[in-house]
Amino acid sequence: MLRVLVADDSRVMRQIVIRTLRQAGYDWSVTEAADGAEALAAVRADEPDLVLSDWNMPEMTGIELLRELRAAGFSTPFGFVTSEGSPEMRQSAEQAGALFLIAKPFTAESFRDVIEPVLA
Amino acid sequence: MSIVQVSGEGQRRTFDGSQVQSIAEQVFSAMIDDDPSALVLWAGVFPALDDPLEAWVDLTGPWTGRVALTTERATAHDLSRALLGMSPDEPVDDGDVVDAFGEVANVVGGNVKTLLTEVGRLGLPQVAPSAPPMAGNVLHELRMAWRGRPLNIVVTAAE
Repeated sequence: MLRVLVADDSRVMRQIVIRTLRQAGYDWSVTEAADGAEALAAVRADEPDLVLSDWNMPEMTGIELLRELRAAGFSTPFGFVTSEGSPEMRQSAEQAGALFLIAKPFTAESFRDVIEPVLA
Repeated sequence: MSIVQVSGEGQRRTFDGSQVQSIAEQVFSAMIDDDPSALVLWAGVFPALDDPLEAWVDLTGPWTGRVALTTERATAHDLSRALLGMSPDEPVDDGDVVDAFGEVANVVGGNVKTLLTEVGRLGLPQVAPSAPPMAGNVLHELRMAWRGRPLNIVVTAAE
């Protein structure tokens, strides 16, 4: 079973992301983090197979989290789930090593569209 | 269609207010209701809100302003239940209401931001009976009905 870390400062949004993963057919083991710093510690402690992270979070943002992970040598597959999806953000995400950016609001189908290629 | 020229730093941008309605409909349809008709424009005189609750996000940078949603507290509770997939009579605590209603404002604000500017920063969502005053101009105000109950969406450009 794949293990995914869901990082978002909104508990409600973490629940929605987890629910959408299930709706998309991904019955994965899920752990949660309430900000980037918590997510960084979680990856250091037990690296998951995939990180799904919000962008805008207190303590440490999602893009800071991704850069910290890459700087520390973690190549953990990483995707953003964020309320903004501007071309500049997508470019920054890609340059930092993200595999995809899902803009909120999302559907189970939009999850499958970006996650399936990662699993292939 | 309301198209407003928005001043930025050394540049002017066009803000198409009609897209705010489209954004709100998409957000509510994807996150809250499968039924797109659950959120429609308010017909008739928009009522004064009883025990209002406001959720907002501020945008800062070349364009500074606010995207705010206001509804009645009871409606915000129902909105939160719907967002969390809870039954209508299930108790929802205030923390979840702040989280859920704030997240709706966050997603609407994040999408509205793409109409305004490609740079700048979206603040974290906040929820209170009313947002602190912001001096500026209302760019667009949407008076909506969510499941028949009033919901106001306002985009303000700071002075």
